[in-house]
Amino acid sequence: MTTDDKTQEKWEVQLRKGSLELVILAALQHRTLYGLELLKVLQSFKSTAITEGTLYPLLDRLKREQLLDAQWVQEGDIRPRKYYSLTAAGLTKLGDLTSLWRQSVQDIEYLLAHPGPDPIKVTGA
Amino acid sequence: MEQQQMIHQYLNTLQRYLARLSPAEAKEVIREIESHIFDLIEQREAAGQQADAATILQGFGEPRQLAEQYVAHMTDGAPPPLGFRAIQRVKHGVTASLYYGMAVFGFMTSFCLLFLAGAKLITPDAVGVWAMSEGNSLTIAFLAEPFPPEQELLGMALVPVAIVLGLALMWLTRRVLAVLKNHLYTRHP
Repeated sequence: MTTDDKTQEKWEVQLRKGSLELVILAALQHRTLYGLELLKVLQSFKSTAITEGTLYPLLDRLKREQLLDAQWVQEGDIRPRKYYSLTAAGLTKLGDLTSLWRQSVQDIEYLLAHPGPDPIKVTGA
Repeated sequence: MEQQQMIHQYLNTLQRYLARLSPAEAKEVIREIESHIFDLIEQREAAGQQADAATILQGFGEPRQLAEQYVAHMTDGAPPPLGFRAIQRVKHGVTASLYYGMAVFGFMTSFCLLFLAGAKLITPDAVGVWAMSEGNSLTIAFLAEPFPPEQELLGMALVPVAIVLGLALMWLTRRVLAVLKNHLYTRHP
């Protein structure tokens, strides 16, 4: 593996870590999922693929912060599963993080779309 | 069945590392992970795939590291920022020296008391507890020239008293050590 690949992988890991909370809240928006189900959803996307060892402690933390609600449900003969859904606070948090995310993407896109040598328009401070 | 055993062992180890959580919280964590593992195995088997416990457990990582994430909010509130890990290490050191200090002090004192009881039995005249300076201080001593027996406080009653105190102290030390060890264990086994 070249140094470039390593740096790129590091950056990917950082990006995934930073956006993980938003990813989980988004996946649970108006939806109730149990751990394994949520994991499969996340693992089906290239940039959100995480392991069990990352997901479960994070769900535990989000629940402790009262952003998520969890409930054990048993349907028929299947073993009981713990289902997660957003609380009102979780939905608000999702809104906040979404605006931050979109702002960030918009800013980066702007920079990418305006290469030199033309001067870049600087607004504000 | 070997697979079952591997999963069992993993969950047991995890439970040990979760000792800091309340029993109900720890049970909840184990229950969820257990449900996930067996769910996944059933789903794979139903799909005609081979369900390999080792591969599934790999996704959860080492039990100790997994547990640390669940316990982090209890030990530190939040994981310490980089560069502050030294403080954690000092805290570990204090706990470890406290543990060994407690063990040495507790057991030494308790053995001394038991030894005193034995010595009183063997040489009753030379061993005893005397009140000195008009009752302002207490002396436990082995003497070549014994005090007059009437000044001795306990007489032969020293034997049962010292044995009871010695045993009680030993019991207490073991209890305290058990509590300390539990904390040591979850921090750096």
